[in-house]
Amino acid sequence: MSVYDFTAKTNKGEEKSLAEYKGKVLIIVNTASKCGFTPQYKELQELYDKYKDKGLEILGFPCNQFGEQEPGSNDEVQTFCRRNYGVSFQIFEKGDVRGETAHPLFKYLTQEKKFEGFDEGHPIAAKLTEALKAHFPEYLEGDGIKWNFTKFLIDREGNVVKRFEPTTTPADMATDIEKLL
Amino acid sequence: MVKVYSITTCPWCDKVKKYLKSKGVEYEERNIETNDEFLAECKELSGDEMVPVITADGKNFVLGFDKAKLDEMLGLSA
Repeated sequence: MSVYDFTAKTNKGEEKSLAEYKGKVLIIVNTASKCGFTPQYKELQELYDKYKDKGLEILGFPCNQFGEQEPGSNDEVQTFCRRNYGVSFQIFEKGDVRGETAHPLFKYLTQEKKFEGFDEGHPIAAKLTEALKAHFPEYLEGDGIKWNFTKFLIDREGNVVKRFEPTTTPADMATDIEKLL
Repeated sequence: MVKVYSITTCPWCDKVKKYLKSKGVEYEERNIETNDEFLAECKELSGDEMVPVITADGKNFVLGFDKAKLDEMLGLSA
């Protein structure tokens, strides 16, 4: 069993096999709404721009199980949305990433790499824990996806190498990505 | 005719359309996700791929759901 055994529908409704990504380094990430303030989209796009020629692909899975926002980013109200989330990497159809209804890919990823806690040094860690306790206390239990922008790094052979919580900004993944490229 | 550039799932586009309707303003919706020509027009006008973008003359535009700016551009009274 590997990530290449899964298929998913793109945001244009086409069924895509992840086997198409064999030989690439992948970031698989559950993403938030295309409306509002979401810096991690921008940072993921920056990683993509920097490393796509060396073999990095990013696969975004939009999900609204977490209140449609990036943690701690709702201070600024914006009244617009971005086409294709403002990114050029592959976006898949909106769906669930945790619980019974989760996409099988995310069930697999969260079994492969367990939850090891948030990076408490990150400014959003405290806010995120607070928000989870207040709204989704059950999400704190177990290894399921905790919030938007949980990132899984996959090597060129399809092994799930590392899990990064929402408290790791994409730019801080660069060292780990470079090791695999 | 007023044009509203939009995408499919966009609460702010919906708010703009509802507001224009409530003011009796006729408009044409142009979805930039499903039509590349509309996307090109919208980018040309606003320089980005954000929506909603509202224009009456194809030169001046309002980005986002901003009642005050819409009222001003379209000459609507509060």
